[in-house]
Amino acid sequence: MNKKAIVLMLCLLLSVEITLAITTNLSMELWNRYTMVRQAGKTQSNVFSLERGYLRLEPTFTDKIKGRFNLDFFSSDKYNDGAGIKLKYAYVEFNEVVPIRLSRFSFGMDKTYFGTVYDWAYVTIEKALEDKEKVISSADYGINFTGYLPKGYGEYALSVINGEGYSKAGSKVNINPAPVVNLRLIPIPGVSLGGSILYEKAGFIDTIKTAYDKRLAYTGVARFAFGPLDAWFEYLTQAYGVSTRGVYSETKSNGFMIMPILRFIRPLDLVFRYDKWVPNNSKEKDGWSTLIGGFNWNILFDSQGTPTLFVQTNWQRTVYEDSNKKPLDQIMVQLRWTFSNNLID
Amino acid sequence: MKKSLNAIIKVSVLVGLVLMSSSVLFGAKNSVTMAGSTTVLPVAQKAAETFMDMHNEINVSVRGGGSGVGIASLIAGSVDIGNSSRSIKDKELKAAREKGKNPVGNIIALDGIAIVVNPKNSLNELDIATLKNIYTGKVSNWKALGGPDQSIVVISRDVSSGTFEVFGEKVLKGSKVREDALMLASNKAVATTVAETPGAIGYVGLGYLSEDVKALKIKGVMPSETTVRSGEYKLARPLYMYTNGAPKGLVKDFIDFILSTDGQKLVKEVGFVPLQPLP
Repeated sequence: MNKKAIVLMLCLLLSVEITLAITTNLSMELWNRYTMVRQAGKTQSNVFSLERGYLRLEPTFTDKIKGRFNLDFFSSDKYNDGAGIKLKYAYVEFNEVVPIRLSRFSFGMDKTYFGTVYDWAYVTIEKALEDKEKVISSADYGINFTGYLPKGYGEYALSVINGEGYSKAGSKVNINPAPVVNLRLIPIPGVSLGGSILYEKAGFIDTIKTAYDKRLAYTGVARFAFGPLDAWFEYLTQAYGVSTRGVYSETKSNGFMIMPILRFIRPLDLVFRYDKWVPNNSKEKDGWSTLIGGFNWNILFDSQGTPTLFVQTNWQRTVYEDSNKKPLDQIMVQLRWTFSNNLID
Repeated sequence: MKKSLNAIIKVSVLVGLVLMSSSVLFGAKNSVTMAGSTTVLPVAQKAAETFMDMHNEINVSVRGGGSGVGIASLIAGSVDIGNSSRSIKDKELKAAREKGKNPVGNIIALDGIAIVVNPKNSLNELDIATLKNIYTGKVSNWKALGGPDQSIVVISRDVSSGTFEVFGEKVLKGSKVREDALMLASNKAVATTVAETPGAIGYVGLGYLSEDVKALKIKGVMPSETTVRSGEYKLARPLYMYTNGAPKGLVKDFIDFILSTDGQKLVKEVGFVPLQPLP
């Protein structure tokens, strides 16, 4: 997107918000990262970067209507000046517009309510499994109806989204809307069980040919949090159907993630993760697995006890089933810092 | 797949070892930490001071921040007690339960939300419908209520406060506060602004009533200890100290102290309503 246009848009939005909003919260979240990638005994990459620079405006128009507009400034070698800007969240939410307590309706580019991606807090530097393996993007254009079950027994989400993430816009977007259903149940404190399903079919709205005939993705999620242990499990699968000259073929992918986190003392999180992913089940030796180990050292906290300045250190090894491909090692050290303030109060 | 299994076993063994070492890291604790509602703050501070005088070796730290902050801090595990002037929301309960927390609300006192006006105001009474009309902007001059020809200056708490939520639930009932209302961050700020502004109206917890502001009757009932406890006064609420599970150890000792006769005397001293009439 044109940077000047974005800056102009930001100025316009700010002026509109100052006029209309009761309060507008301005926040920033920055990820300064060092990454070293080694494969087959050679260093492939050894760089410092700004991986994320979120500039976020959250206007509160009434006690029931809020918005979020978020730009991401990041290091990129795609541009001459080495920096890129992209739009990540831009939506308005209407709370309790229907007579269901704590229900929320959002319109615009919101989180994708699927699997673990929507509440992924990047405890490991790596993305959530579905995001990492490009099954689902972390944000998408669409409409979402979300809410909470009574007495904290869980949450639900019903969405209709583009299904192709926030990086595609305009004519590049597949025109078939993708319905998504997400449910998370918490039968007892510390035990969360849930799942999500996304289904997309060509010709649902129009007969225009899309890149695929149908796509089905679903996931099962479990989380166990007892004392210092917080363990996440996710099973993910995707089926992708394409017709070529009248012959229909389907590609199935699946995998899982196990992520135990240990918090014995407040400043320190010990993180471990194991991912397994097979992009095409019908192919031999097509998969890979990733082992991650590291820690997060929380230096500063906000008034609610959420870390606002912390260092993440991860070692990550990806091993390929194809023995011709050598294991890939990544060492990442990241400083994350956030701040926020109300512009109008 | 065999390699995957090996990796999982290795990670599990490591997790087990670290879990076993946890007992070394957790020692005996001689402090109680709490944060949250600015309404609960005076009673929490008074109780903390007295409790520490009684037990020299114990430290009780109290922070404000609002009910939302108190509950979020309890969920984050940064405090032992989350003080709140409202009951926990389903959204907060969900966040707590998924992190293995089980918030339990311990009612430690009752509070009436008093509607206050500048002492020079001749008005003595309002009903909830009129109050709503004032706060939504349908009535904007005291003349319409039999008072002087003077604009009403509406003062409210900020939308994140527990006091605002109770006011919203009991008075506004889904309507929006008029746009030119002053949204202030604490009960004290509301009381001070009302005291200094002719034509002002605001609402504060009973603990913040003083001679500097004039409390109004609601439907003929004055906010008082008796009317709040009996339920006659409608703008009333319980005050909570949320704990993770039933209170234990030092946290239980502290809450038991507040619930004791001596603790409830402190509740009364700071202007809140004891749960039972005091002897």
